[in-house]
Parts: sequence; C-alpha cells; structure tokens
Amino acid sequence: MKINYSHKLTILLLLFCSIKSYAQTNSIKGKVISDKAQPVIGANVILVGTTIGDAANEKGIFEIKNVQYGIYELEISAIGYEKRKVSNFRVNESTKPLTVVLKETAFETEQVVVSASKFEQRVEDLTVSTTIIKPDYINRRNFLTFDDVLRYIPGVQMNLEQVSIRGSSGYSKGVGARVLVAINGIPLYAGDNGDVVWELIPLSDIERVEVIKGPASSLYGSSAIGGVINIITKSTSKSSLFYFKSYIGTFDKPKHTEWRWDDSYRTFYGAELNHSNSIEDFSYTLSLKKFDNMSYRQNDYSKRYLAHLKLHYNFTPENYLMFFSNYLYSNRGNFLYWKNSQKALVPKDEETGNYVKSNRIFNGLIYHHEFNREFSGELKTSYYRTQFDGYGIEHTTSIASLFRAEFITNYIISNKFTLTSGVEASYADVKSNIFTNPEFFGSGAYIQSEFKGVKDLIVTTGFRYDYIKLDTTAGKNAFTPRLGLNYKYSDYLIFRASLGTGFRAPTPAEVFTTAGVGGGVDVKQNPNLTSESSIAFEIGTQYKPYENLFFDFAFYQTDFNNFIEPNLTKDGDIQFINLSKARIQGFEAITDWSILENELKLIFGYNYMWARDIAKNRAMKYRPRNIVYAQLKYSPTPFDFGIDFRYLSKVEEIDFALVEPPLALVVDGEKRVPIFVTDLSASYSFLIGSAPIRLNLNAKNIFNYYYVEFIGNLAPLRNFSISTEIYF
Amino acid sequence: MNKHLSYIFIFLLIISLWSCDKGIEPGEPKGPGGFSGKVTFIGNWPSGVTRTHLVVFKNPIQSSDDFFPPNLTFVADSIPYRTTSFEYNSFENNFIPIFQLGYGNFKYVVVAQSKTQNLSLDRKDWYVVGIYCINNDQSKAATLIVEPNKITPNINIVVDFNNPPPQPPM
Repeated sequence: MKINYSHKLTILLLLFCSIKSYAQTNSIKGKVISDKAQPVIGANVILVGTTIGDAANEKGIFEIKNVQYGIYELEISAIGYEKRKVSNFRVNESTKPLTVVLKETAFETEQVVVSASKFEQRVEDLTVSTTIIKPDYINRRNFLTFDDVLRYIPGVQMNLEQVSIRGSSGYSKGVGARVLVAINGIPLYAGDNGDVVWELIPLSDIERVEVIKGPASSLYGSSAIGGVINIITKSTSKSSLFYFKSYIGTFDKPKHTEWRWDDSYRTFYGAELNHSNSIEDFSYTLSLKKFDNMSYRQNDYSKRYLAHLKLHYNFTPENYLMFFSNYLYSNRGNFLYWKNSQKALVPKDEETGNYVKSNRIFNGLIYHHEFNREFSGELKTSYYRTQFDGYGIEHTTSIASLFRAEFITNYIISNKFTLTSGVEASYADVKSNIFTNPEFFGSGAYIQSEFKGVKDLIVTTGFRYDYIKLDTTAGKNAFTPRLGLNYKYSDYLIFRASLGTGFRAPTPAEVFTTAGVGGGVDVKQNPNLTSESSIAFEIGTQYKPYENLFFDFAFYQTDFNNFIEPNLTKDGDIQFINLSKARIQGFEAITDWSILENELKLIFGYNYMWARDIAKNRAMKYRPRNIVYAQLKYSPTPFDFGIDFRYLSKVEEIDFALVEPPLALVVDGEKRVPIFVTDLSASYSFLIGSAPIRLNLNAKNIFNYYYVEFIGNLAPLRNFSISTEIYF
Repeated sequence: MNKHLSYIFIFLLIISLWSCDKGIEPGEPKGPGGFSGKVTFIGNWPSGVTRTHLVVFKNPIQSSDDFFPPNLTFVADSIPYRTTSFEYNSFENNFIPIFQLGYGNFKYVVVAQSKTQNLSLDRKDWYVVGIYCINNDQSKAATLIVEPNKITPNINIVVDFNNPPPQPPM
C-alpha cells in the first residue's frame, strides 16, 4: 500500500509541475475612456466569476497581470457610467491592448449629487420632485435646441418656446417665465421681457440638467414660482480634447395637398466644433456652432451662430475662478399665426416677410472659496445683454442690460446640520420702443438649513425676503418661507413632503408693453399690475422594490393669487392682468425599469393635472389634464435604439378671444387635438484609432401627426436627421 | 416581465398607428357671413342721446362682463339722432372694422343708446331701446342665424320709445 500511495503522490507532483510549466499567461492591458474620449479614472475591470481585476489609473489605463490563456468575460464599471461586458475575450500570446468606451448614464434617479438647492445634495435626500438628465440622451436624440429636451421630461410641458412645470405657465410668447432657468446656478432671463432664449444654451457643454418641480422662490426669488431648471456645464478637459458634431435633416411633406406651399424638401443643418484643454491650473473650453433651419413653414426660417467660451483657474484644488460667456446671433422669420387651416403652413398675409434680428451675450463669473472644510463661499456675478429688432409693419426694438450679483455661503455646522445663506441684487436697464424705457431693481436675502438630527429624517427649512422696484411702480416686498421633509423608511422606500411659497414680480414687458399684435389689436400697459404669489405643497415617495425597478409618485397642489395672464380688455386690446385665484392640483407617477441590465430600459411618466381659474370655475389656458411620456431604450453595444412617445390630452381652454368673433384674429384657431408623438432613434458607436465616433439617426414625429401646442401654430411635421459626433 | 413588456409594446404600437397621418385637418373654406334689415323708430327720441347703435351679442347679457368682447361681436354704424328708420347691411355699416361677425348663432341683437360724450363699453353707460324678437314680444329675443358666405335678410327691429324693452342686468 505504501508503494501505491507514494507512486500516486509522485504522479500527482509530476502532473502539477507539468501543468504549472505549461500554464502560460499574458496580461490584459487596455484603456477605459468615456464616450467623450476622456479617461475614466478608477474604472473597475474584472474577470467575471473571479476577483481578479484592476482599476484604471489617471490616464484610464489598466493591466491585469498573469492571466492564464483562455477565453474570458470582462466586466467594466464606473460610477456615473453604464456597466459594460466584453464577452469571449481571448487571452493568448497575441492578445492586444483593449480600448473600452463607457457611456454616461442618461437619466439618473439616485446617488447623484445635485446643486439646485445651492448646496450639494444627493437626489434621494431631496424634499421635492427632481429629474436629472445627462448629456448622452441629448446627443443621441439630436435635439437642436434645449427646449426640445424639455418636451420629454415628465411633468414638464412646452407651449412653443414657453416652459411650464406642472402647469405653472400657459402661453404668453415667453414673456414672464414662471420657471427659472439657470446656467451653473446663474439665472438666464432677459432684462426686458423675462424670457429664456433656449438657443443660447450650449448643448455640447452640458454635464447634467437638474429639474426641480415646484416653487423654489425661497432660494431663487422671483421667476422660480413654478420650479427651477439648473444646467450644469462640464468640467474642462485635463488634456487636449476636440469635439465635432454635424447634422443634417429634412422635413417630410404634409399629407394634405392644401398645406404644400413648397415643392422642395425643407432642411435643417448645423455644425459645431468644441475644444477644451488645460495648462497646469488653467483650463478652457471654446465652442463655435452654426445652425440653420429652413423650417417646414413659410417665413419661419432661422439662421443662428453660437459662440461659447469658458475659462477656469484653480488657485488651489478647492478655490477656483470660472468665467463663461455665450454669444448668440439670430436672424429668423417671424411666424405668428397660420393664415387659416387650409393654409396651415403659411403665415397671415400681413406677417409675410416679417423677421427678427437679435444679438445676445450672457457672461457669468463665479469665484468659489473654501475657507476651511466646514465653511465655503461663492460669488456669482452675471451680465446679460439682449438686443432685438423686429421688422414688420412696425419696427420694434429693445436693448436690455441685466446685471446680477449673488454671494452664497455654505456652513457645515456639524455632520447633522448645514446652513446655506446668501444675498443678491440685480439691476436692469431697458431701452425699447415697445416696453418704453423702464428700469428694474431687485434684491433678496435668504437662509436655508438642512437638519439630519433624527435618524433617517432630513428636515429642510428656508426663508427668503425680496424687494422689487420696477421703474415708477411702487416697490414690492415678498416673503417666501419653505419647509421640506425627507424620511428614509428603508433602503427601498423614501417619503418626502414639502410646503413652500412662491412669488413672481411682473416683468417690464408685462407692465409696460405697448405694441400691435396684428388685426388692429394692441397690447396695452398696465402699471397697476401686481406680483403674483403662490403656496404649494407636495407629498411624494420613491419606491425601489428591486435593483432594476424604481417608482416615484407625487401629489401636488399649488394655489396662485393674483396670477398674471394676458387678457382681452373692454376696449378690445390685450393687457396683462391679475386673475383673482387659480389652483393647480395633480398627481405624477414615474417608473424607471431596467428590464435587461444596461441593455433594455423603460421610463414611463404620467401626470394628471387639473388647473383652474377658481373665480370663473373653468380650466386655465393651455394646460392639458393628462400627459404621458414613455421611453424605451435598447442598447446592445455598440448600438442604441430608442422609442420615445408622448401624449398630451386636448387642452380645454385656449385664447378664445383671439379665435372667435368679433376679433377672430386667428382663423380656425379653435382647431386643436390631443397630441400623440412618436420618435425613433438609432445610434452606432465605433472607434477610429482611439477616437470615439457616433452616428445618430433620428426620425421624429414618425407617424406625421398634425397638432398644435399653441393656436394657429402647426407643430413640426415628420422629420429625419443624421448626425455625427467625433471626439479626438 | 417579458409578458409585461409585450403589453407595453402593443399599447405603444396601437397608440402610434392610431396617430398615423391623423390630427388636425384642413377645414372647409368658410368666408364671413352678414345680415341686413331695417330699424324703425316710434315715438319721441329721448333728449341727450349721443349715440345709437345696433349691437350683436353672442349670448344674452347675464352680467356686466357680457357687455363687451368676446360676447359683444358686432356694432353697426351710429344711427343719426331722431331718425325714423335706418336700413343697414353688416358689411357696409361695420362701426368697428376689427370686429368680425364670422358666422353662427347670435342670441341677443339689440338697439342700444348712450348719453356719454366718449364711447364707452361699460354696461352702465347704455340702455337697450329695441330687441330683435319673436312676434314683436320684446321679452323673447330671437336668434340671428348667420351662415358663411351669405347675408341673412330681414333682421328688422322696432324701437318704440313709448314701450321700452326689459333691461339686461347691470
């Protein structure tokens, strides 16, 4: 027996040695980069089923040493990026370095830090409904301007160029926005009519978009009565990076022959070059963009140029200075209303040939200083100059300069208590033949605390005071307190509640406009216009029963006092007036379901809203009761396929005074339907050398559904586009 | 889950196909309509009247708000003081050209007078002196029907200063 065992042992030892001597190995080397050609620092690369792996260094390079020859599956992951798997990866003597491109996640629902509350918070800690959008979605869908992005966010509605969150706005040609749009926390509203020019936002430099639903006046003051859209720009690149994008598209012809006013296909096209680099502590981003649109409608063309510059200097890793400047030149036709429903793509005779030229420059300067780990300050200043000239029967012109400064402090008193406070002031000077020449002065001070002293409970309280003085009108004061609660019942269930107040001061345009809008109807001044105010509450919950399934539910109600809307006067003119009381109640449900991890995803949003003028007991204008969004995305690398669908029920109330006799300014303007729009998108990503390239194909309104968002304005017909993006 | 996914696909497909080439369609070309007739005055005109107009309202006046647009849809030219009869045509005698009658049913057609120096659209500044009515019963307003591209004739109103009609609410 002894001989037997020793014999077996000898054989085993011989076998082991022979196996060892024949188990050849090689290294798996490679690089992990983002779809913007930036190294993904810290990306984990592991062999599936083992604990063997490596993390990418500051250049995105990794190396897994001594891997035995064979066929493996690699898993590459990093926070903020979609996880990727590389199957059937062969390790042998000729294994080549691997380049892996990770895509940024498009919609984020958790573990994302947002700064819309003027200090950094995780999304799951917020007390109000919030949606985060990442740039991948914007690029893949080839959205030409930022307002198109907003059409696909649950709870957000666009009426032409006017944004509304949960019914906060109807339509008033962009005048007097109720949603505050900000770039890096600096408000982007014009000094004269308070509108937001979406083309001024550089889409290629967006890091993320934070959409806060509900009043935020306690932090942002006037204009944030309906919510906040905060656009955060990207960090400048640490190494030289170029980005080039070009696109071309065409509108289909309408089915109805009566609507065909041009035999040729109407096109839209554009190109953009973006460069970013760093030299030690200094870094910059510069982009130039040209985008033209012939439009599917007559006299609705646009020719635009956008320049974007961003400079960043780090005094220390914590203290920095950032300057950014956006310049937009625009020359566009002025299509106000269709001629009638038989000529739905042709403007009224008196509007044919009208056009608007404009120049806008928006400059922001941010200085951030950390005095110590607990206390930091930030100074934000901006200068926004807008100039437009409208050419039609009358020449309209306006030049507005808006100066703004804000100082914010953030004090982490303990790990349970954070205090944010700030003061701000703004001044606007307007020279115009339609808004007269008013001056505007506003100032405010606010304080907000976040308390985490009770286990799993976050209590946020805030208060703001504003003083607004609009030219000769009496100065107005506003106090806007707010309370928010967030209770983390478990890792899967979070409850939130908020009670807040809002206010909005009338803009110079709402008070002082004197202009003709056609058909002998004029807009008249109303110096008696007063600020509107609101009180709103929301209760909501986030429920995550599985790792790949997420629900968000919210009930909300907002009561408005002195709600400002354009109305027809006894003299047959249009004037902005204060409605006595209005109420908006609603329910919102959002589902985010990763059906197949990193490959198949469904996002579904439903919003029911009942917005009514309480005094007259009727619906408010241009507010649909039901809105549905659905987005299905299938991403078998290197492809991306997407279907986006949106439905808005038929709006009950419109500007009947403009549509019906006696004015009948918009012939057939009563024609409106529920909105059903379906878009298809497809992308293919590949590398040339180490340069990521993506081709995007988009078919929007694929079923060529004809609808209006505003009376007498047929929405875009079915259109197709192809775009190319290259990072090098 | 795949089953649920199929339902979602089918739902989206049905909704999408249902919307194919649908939505708003071109309407029938409809031109504006009009009406014509005669206003006859009986009795002595009150003193101090500065203007007299034939006025068309979409609906009867329930409150002072109904006295101006959009319920007020048409105002004919001013009728001269102490006229005994006035023939009119809405196309020729439109006092406010930006007001377009269009077409449809108009349930309150009256002759109204005012004594103010300047034109006012406040209800309190006007009093109704004649109503387009059924069988000369001024308590029963008749409906004016205006069809596109047509002129509705014989919209006649008798103003009897000795027998004024009921006044609408202030």
